[in-house]
Amino acid sequence: MVNWLSLVVPFAYLTILLGSLYTFSHLYRARKLSKAASLEPWFPPHLQRNIYLTLLHLDPSESGEGGPSKVPDSVLKAALLRRATEDIHRVLQLQNAKPALQSLLQRGSVGDDLWQRFLRAEKEIQEEIKDVVAEANAFAPGWGQLIFQTANEMAQNALLRKRVEEIQAQVTAEKEWWEKKKAGIQADFMKELDEDSKATQPVPTTGRGSDDDAVLVEGGGPTAAQQQGSMKKRKKGKN
Amino acid sequence: MAAEADIFTLLPLHLDPTTKAVSSSSSSTSAALTTELTALNLLHRSLLSLDTPNGVPPPPVPVNPKRSAQIGKLRETGNASFRKGAHGDAIRMYSLGIDMALGRPGWEPSGLVREEVSGLYANRAQAHMALQHWAEGAVDAESSVEMKRVGNAKGWWRRGRCLFEMGRLEEAREWVGQALEFEAGEQDLVGLMREVEAAVERRARQ
Repeated sequence: MVNWLSLVVPFAYLTILLGSLYTFSHLYRARKLSKAASLEPWFPPHLQRNIYLTLLHLDPSESGEGGPSKVPDSVLKAALLRRATEDIHRVLQLQNAKPALQSLLQRGSVGDDLWQRFLRAEKEIQEEIKDVVAEANAFAPGWGQLIFQTANEMAQNALLRKRVEEIQAQVTAEKEWWEKKKAGIQADFMKELDEDSKATQPVPTTGRGSDDDAVLVEGGGPTAAQQQGSMKKRKKGKN
Repeated sequence: MAAEADIFTLLPLHLDPTTKAVSSSSSSTSAALTTELTALNLLHRSLLSLDTPNGVPPPPVPVNPKRSAQIGKLRETGNASFRKGAHGDAIRMYSLGIDMALGRPGWEPSGLVREEVSGLYANRAQAHMALQHWAEGAVDAESSVEMKRVGNAKGWWRRGRCLFEMGRLEEAREWVGQALEFEAGEQDLVGLMREVEAAVERRARQ
């Protein structure tokens, strides 16, 4: 009896110790997990994926009563291709961000949270790509190997068209600016001519447009002559 | 985490039974969804016009030669007009060629599009320059360079020349300096650089 009573104290000590350790680790891990889950995702919601899956699950009964009730394959293929293109954009973004993020992490400039978000995005995109390949193979055998090649070209093409459009959009503004400036130069030039009365320098522009006079003011006499020479040369060497 | 791969957001989509066009059935649609659906419908239509056996886009590499031939022809016609001095016609031909090259289906190789478009823009810039449309020439030459930076000394030179002609000397100097980084030792560019430097100096003295 005495023996038991003296043993209660160490046993209670052990139980409390182990119990508190366990509770602590359990709570700690649960909190960490919930924190990781609540981290903001790296990318915004995948719109193309949502569209594709929505189309796939579109209820036949509500879309079109009389006609063929299923979404045609061609629409689904187009949606899948859009999804793959968006995946390409995301993969490229992640690839570009990785080295910079790694060096920032090593220097301690960014928190661990950002790195966790990045790793999660990487894992998700891998799953996503596997999924797209499987879907593509289901539509047409062998398309899985091709779809990302196609999607890559589509992404690149979209990018280059956007760039060209951006540059070409400047053309009206540039033109207006130049017209204004040209008018200004011409006015200046005429004034100068009036001031110097007549016969200042023989301007070598007989038979050429008044536009050219403006240019001559800019470039000066000898340069303009040279310029004509090099323009001719250029004309010959064109493709 | 694994669960997230299996869930998705159901969108209020509606498929037109006759035209097969996908639209959003809810009235409050985000702009992103609308543009995405437009792109999807466009892509769908171009997929339908394909004549591949299973209706999927062909691999990028063997290119349909028809369009390439047409673009090449337009460029040749443009070049011929340019040589005859019909610069307006040349510009029109080059513009048609550019539209056709940019109108290639998205799955065709983007490198090819870059190559074609850069050549056509460079030529159109030249035609504009012959008409002394420096502003248009400058923009076209910039487009050409944007599409193809290396091995495009003509494009670089043309924009530099246009800027110089418009009296934008600082811009011209910066541009040609950049050009020389890509095309070091190109005689025309070196010459243009010298001219620009001289003009900058002259202006500073005035």
